[in-house]
Parts: sequence; structure tokens; C-alpha cells
Amino acid sequence: MSSDKPPYLGFGLGLRPQHYQEILDASPAIDWFEIISENYMIEGGQPLHMLDRICERYPVVMHGVSLSIASTAPLDLDYLGALKTLADRVKPKWISDHLCWTGVHGVNLHDLLPIPYTEEALDHVVARVGQVQDFLGRRLTLENVSSYITFGQSEMTEWEFVSEVAKRADCWLLFDVNNVYVSAFNHGFSTDEFLHGVPRDRVVQFHVAGHSHEESHIIDTHDHPVCDEVWDFYRDTVGHFGPVSTMIERDDNIPPLAELVDELDHARAIARAVLGEKRLEAAE
Amino acid sequence: MKSLRELQDTFQRGILAGDDAILAEVKDSAKEKRKVLFGVYRNAYVARLAEILGDDYEQLHAYLGDQAFARLVKAYIDANPSDRRSARWFGRHLPAFVRKNETYAKHREIAEIAELEKALADAFDAPDAEPLRIEALAAVAPESWPSLVFVPHPTASRLTFMTNAADIWSALKSETAPPKPLHLPEPQAVLVWRQGFMSRFRPLSPEEAMMWDEAAKGVRFGVLCEMVATFAGEDEAELRAASYLKGWVDMETLAGCQTP
Repeated sequence: MSSDKPPYLGFGLGLRPQHYQEILDASPAIDWFEIISENYMIEGGQPLHMLDRICERYPVVMHGVSLSIASTAPLDLDYLGALKTLADRVKPKWISDHLCWTGVHGVNLHDLLPIPYTEEALDHVVARVGQVQDFLGRRLTLENVSSYITFGQSEMTEWEFVSEVAKRADCWLLFDVNNVYVSAFNHGFSTDEFLHGVPRDRVVQFHVAGHSHEESHIIDTHDHPVCDEVWDFYRDTVGHFGPVSTMIERDDNIPPLAELVDELDHARAIARAVLGEKRLEAAE
Repeated sequence: MKSLRELQDTFQRGILAGDDAILAEVKDSAKEKRKVLFGVYRNAYVARLAEILGDDYEQLHAYLGDQAFARLVKAYIDANPSDRRSARWFGRHLPAFVRKNETYAKHREIAEIAELEKALADAFDAPDAEPLRIEALAAVAPESWPSLVFVPHPTASRLTFMTNAADIWSALKSETAPPKPLHLPEPQAVLVWRQGFMSRFRPLSPEEAMMWDEAAKGVRFGVLCEMVATFAGEDEAELRAASYLKGWVDMETLAGCQTP
């Protein structure tokens, strides 16, 4: 199994169909793209054609939404097979999904559902990550999700759980800055505790995104520009981890590409200000 | 303490069946009651799937209007929990659901609009294949023509409508007022396929539809010409058959031809 730490890629965007043509025509200054894996688990047509063209020009990483690593339902080998076939085509720098479950009994709820932070769940997830990594022949990258509830039976904090999964399953982490901010607000913990609670050497990617504020709780909608509070936390995050591949994640209300490039430039400017030009260039 | 398996089962029933047993397993936050917080998952489930169906069935939504479409979508979501990893496939049973649903039984065009939208979506990401070119046909020796068989493009599918659903869809797509729904005196054959990256459809005359359907079964060109002659008269039957064939090639609905 390939165990080399994924390379630093710089500042990237989620690849969205609305932007295919502009990306190919204008070759905008975006360092890399992240694709939603499931959107390309299809047989033919424009999406795969555009993906192939973009893979010729940019580094690409694969990001799934339905691995359901924490589900107690059996691993879906057809899905894993399709994921591997896509990876053979895309040759991604890494493959990520979420530290969550998406359904049981053959149902997919198309949501990133929370896990109780228990030893039982930890053992279960660690074993499953091992199985998936063996199947794919590479390490997996797992992302912390936003959550709205906590379980009475949880025995540890989210960051303790995330850290133990990474260490025991020997996988990488995708640190979603917005999700930490959302969950910290919803559950009343400090973003700094989470930030300092996960192992620095495991984090290979950041997501930065927007959300919807409902006063008593925040919903992780990915349909707004990144807000000032999340940018502030991104500043702390970059300061703590150093140069890590950073991506703006917008899934709904997709704006013109230029707006997302502006947000990405903002992230780049923050990283430069915090780390200095030399440290950022040295990482590339 | 519930096992992880039991907890996930209870959580899922909380979303799918509105079962509140899950509330005993989760906590209030400092700012909000657990029922409201768990409600985020309940609401997101329906909202996400409704959005997917709205994207997949855009013209059906336009035809029914917001309220009726929302009712249809809610009924479909309740009856068809998603069983695929990709949301791309969630709405695939909607045409059959509409067809079987008594509410829509008197409005056959609704199911047919849904069938057309599904067929166009299926063509969009169906397997790639190089279309049959006119040059390849021109290179076929004259004596081989009667035994020639044709391979439909893998994106091609055939529908049969009893209403003017295709005209209604076209009007809605171009954002003009749709015609009144009509039951047609004769069934309307429709061919759906992808040309380049664009999903397309075209109504077929009864004769062309017959020839397409037989060609798709692998019937030889010589026999297709005889069938065309039987269908609408021997006069210029071969010319008619050749003209349909040329149309198929021009519109890239075929992926090849072979002599057995």
C-alpha cells in the first residue's frame, strides 16, 4: 500500500459542471481541483470527457460522499469497485470521504450522519478504514463533518475520536475548517481545542466553506461565501498546521468561477500573511 | 446502552418514519432543544431529495407548478427511500410511480413528460460510442447491403406516447406556454439519444418507428426494405428505407453496421 504523504498542492477549488468550459478555455490560476467522486461514477458523456481534459491540465483529488465508513451495514463492494475504477482513470493525489455514516438496511439517506464517540464505534470505524485501504491499495483521507446533535453515550470528544481513527487506522485527515466552526458553535466547544487536539502530521487537506446561521444552531449548507469568523479560524488553522492544500468548497448557489477564485485568493493571502511567502513557496 | 447498530437503526427510523425514539439517545445543546436539532436531519433529508428531483424533472416541475410538484415529490420520497450511493439514480422510478398513482391516472401526459425527462437524463451519461459515419456506409459493397445489420447508439432509447407530452415538454423547455394536453388518435413514437454531449429526441413516423425497432433487433437491411414496402406500399420503398437510414446516420443515432 502506498504510504507516502500526499504532496502539498496549494490552493484549489471543487470542480463543478457550471465551470467546465471556462476552466478549459481560460486555464484560470487554480492550483488543483477536487471532484465529487459519485458524480463521475457514470458510463460516458460530457462529465467524464471534461474530467479527462481537466485531469490532463491540473492535479485532481477525489472526494466521496457515500462511502459510509461508520455504517454498521456491510461495506458496499460494488461502490468500492466503482471508486477504484474511477481512481484508475483520474489518478488522484488522494481519495477522501467523510468520517460519518449515510444509512443502513440498504438505504442511503444522502446525508453525513454523526457517530457516537465510543470505543465500540472507534473499533468499528478503524477496522472498516483498514478494509477500504486494503481494497484501494492506498491510504484514505477522512474529513470531520458538521453535526447538529451529540449522543448521550459518547465517551470522548470529537477530536479525540478523529485523532484515534487517524492513528489506529493509519489514514490521513481532511480538516474542514467550516465544519469545526459549525460543530463548535452547535455543541459549545472551542475551535482551538479541536485545532490543537488533532495530530498535525496527519492533516493533508483543508476545506473552507460557507454556512447558514439559524441563531441557536448553524447548518452546514455550503451555499454561502465564507464568513469572517471562518476566515479568522482559517488564519489560526494555517498558523497551527503550516502549509496544507486548501480548497474552497461550494456545493449550492454556485457563483461565477471568478467569485470563487477571489475567495481562493483571499485564502492564499491569509496563508501568505501568516506563513510568509518563502514558507509557502518552499512547500510547493 | 444501545449498540452502534441499534443506534443507527433508531436514527434512520427517526429520519424516515418520524420516530422520536432517537430523542432519548441525543442531547439538548446549551441553546436548543434536541427535537429541533434532530429536525435538521429530518428536514435536510426531504429537502435534499426534493432538490434532486427538481433538478432531474425540471419541465415536469414547470408543468405541475410548485404545489402539485411538491406533493408528488413528497409522496415519491416517502414511497422510495434511496437505495443507491449516487443521488443520480434516486428519481429513476418517478415515471413508473406517476403512472401507477391514481391522482395522475387521468392525466397521462404527466407520466409521459417524466418518462421523456428520464430518458434524456439517461442518454446524457450513457456509454460513449463513435457514431456510424456516412463514409463507412459508402464503403459497403453493393452486394453486401441486403445483409447489412445496424447497431443502435448505446445512448438511444425508444418511447411511445399516447399524449402530446413531447410538445408540452418542448414548449416548457423554451419557456413558452405549453399546449393543452391531448390524447392522440395514434400512439406517437419518439427516439431519444445523445448527439455529441447533447441529449435529444425526435418524433418518428409510424413507418420509421417500425423500421427503427426492427433494425434495433438486428434485422437485415434487405428485410427492412421488404417490411417498409409492406407497411406503406412498394412504391419507392427502398428509397424510403434509405432515407430513414441516412437520417439516423446524420443524427448519430447508430454506432455501427455489420455484415453477418
